[in-house]
Amino acid sequence: MTRRWENGLAALSQAWAVAAKDMRVYYLNPPMLMFGLILPVLLFFSFALRRGMPVETGIVHLMAMTLFFTASTAGPVVLILERRIGTFDRLLTAPMSLRTLLFGKTLVGVIFAVAVATLPPLVGLAVFRVRVAHAPMLALTVILSALTFSAMGVLFGCFPAQSLGNVMMPASLIRWPLLFVSGLFIPLEALPVWARAISFLSPLTYSFDALSWSLQGGGKQPVFLDVVMLPAIMVVFLAAAVRLHQRTRRLGYQA
Amino acid sequence: MKATNAVEVIDLTRYYGSLPAVDCVSFRVRRGEMFGFLGPNGAGKTTTIRMLTTLLEPTSGTIRIDGLDVAGHPVEVRTHLGVVPEASNVYTELSATENLHFSGQLYRMDRARRRRRASELLDRFGLASRAHVKVAELSKGMRRRLTVAMALMHEPTLLFLDEPISGLDVESARALKEMVRELNERGATIFLTTHQIEVANELCQRVAIIHKGRIATVGTPETLKSSIDSVQAVEVVFAGERVGDISLAGLSHVTGEVVTGNRFRLFTDSPGEVIPQVVDFARRSRLRLGSLNTLGPSLEDVFVRITGGELGKGSDAARGSADPEGKRRRQA
Repeated sequence: MTRRWENGLAALSQAWAVAAKDMRVYYLNPPMLMFGLILPVLLFFSFALRRGMPVETGIVHLMAMTLFFTASTAGPVVLILERRIGTFDRLLTAPMSLRTLLFGKTLVGVIFAVAVATLPPLVGLAVFRVRVAHAPMLALTVILSALTFSAMGVLFGCFPAQSLGNVMMPASLIRWPLLFVSGLFIPLEALPVWARAISFLSPLTYSFDALSWSLQGGGKQPVFLDVVMLPAIMVVFLAAAVRLHQRTRRLGYQA
Repeated sequence: MKATNAVEVIDLTRYYGSLPAVDCVSFRVRRGEMFGFLGPNGAGKTTTIRMLTTLLEPTSGTIRIDGLDVAGHPVEVRTHLGVVPEASNVYTELSATENLHFSGQLYRMDRARRRRRASELLDRFGLASRAHVKVAELSKGMRRRLTVAMALMHEPTLLFLDEPISGLDVESARALKEMVRELNERGATIFLTTHQIEVANELCQRVAIIHKGRIATVGTPETLKSSIDSVQAVEVVFAGERVGDISLAGLSHVTGEVVTGNRFRLFTDSPGEVIPQVVDFARRSRLRLGSLNTLGPSLEDVFVRITGGELGKGSDAARGSADPEGKRRRQA
């Protein structure tokens, strides 16, 4: 048992080393920081233009979209870049499991997304005196959402490609439609049956609902379901990423 | 009990689709040995090294590193390995020290050990004065040395070097070869892939030559050279001005000739018969001999013969050390 704990802690420390390195090499640079700052500001103005939307609702939309885009964008970029310059092989020949490595890659997206997504509620609290209905649940939702969206980005990054465009284009084709079936712009109850079915598979549905519940005190479905579904979907994404990577290793693509 | 072989490869095969890149390859690398893995481009060197370092799954066959089956214990096997790929894969946004510390973290080294080892390696690899500069600002040779240092951070027992001196200037290449030799003397097993035959000849105790995915031969450089001892060469250099358009290919027992300026390399199976004829030719033509040597076959000659080249025709060109301009070749 002690051995298992030691190995678990060692794996966590390796995942953290990967995340901290990625943060320094890829995230704390001007283009990424600009993206992280500009995205919420642009989204804020787009919601501000929509008259009649309560500030609390605007902040929920803003947080959901900021978390979704920041957490799921950097993962594929970093993975493809590392494969292209050969540093990914360095990570793969280190004594850690693929799960540990991909968890480290997920973790860095979480840190970045959480940092960026805390801006809207802080602005809301300071400027608009917004009241947060369930602060601990808000913190939990932000972390779970960031984990799930970041795992989604890592999954995109595991597709065997050396060109960023080959991954980012299909990723965009998946991410943008999710915005429209997850209750952000069109209420779930107004969706056609087929879109409603897809909405239950979208992590953004659960994230948006839990954020609504945490900030405004009411969601469309039990918040318990949101809190269970988000980590469940994250596990599915990471498992799929591991499988995809193993398949690449087996087939021998020069990815 | 420690296994006597650092690497044991049995019937290793790797297909890409229906194409066999590595076909039923078997060899052993003894503990503490410097082993060269030679082959032309596309022979299967990189595919083999990627399988040995757990980056690629074999189609079939067995690999054991220090007695451990790679397929069954990949993570444990990796603790024994240091890998230096052909392209220096260091993080250019970090400093040399940060790169070394990151490498140590991946190998679960504690902070004190990381600090001690990083300082040791920076000194040994001549990087101490540039330790805190971003790698992007270092020269190619320094990055290469840092790549090797990162692979040694956790003190591996087996070091894989893929084309270690490829693209380096003479000084950096010599320094790196010296370091590799020193590492081997300290007990590390070295597995070196290269297409630069002289590097293998100079450094390795044994070499394997892979051709079209199969091991063509394994042995010490000397054994391999003696296996084609029937083909030797006499090298004659005439002193003074250029000798003009003369040929020694017509001398008896000469099977081929390569001429570079005043230097004539005559391929023969009987140097003793050729030398008196050369001396006689010089006297008759009023030429002064600068030097006259007999040469055994080089490892490159073995390589060229195995991979399909012909001695006397292609070996000098393949060596690439002399200016190909002004070189004449004749078959007797």
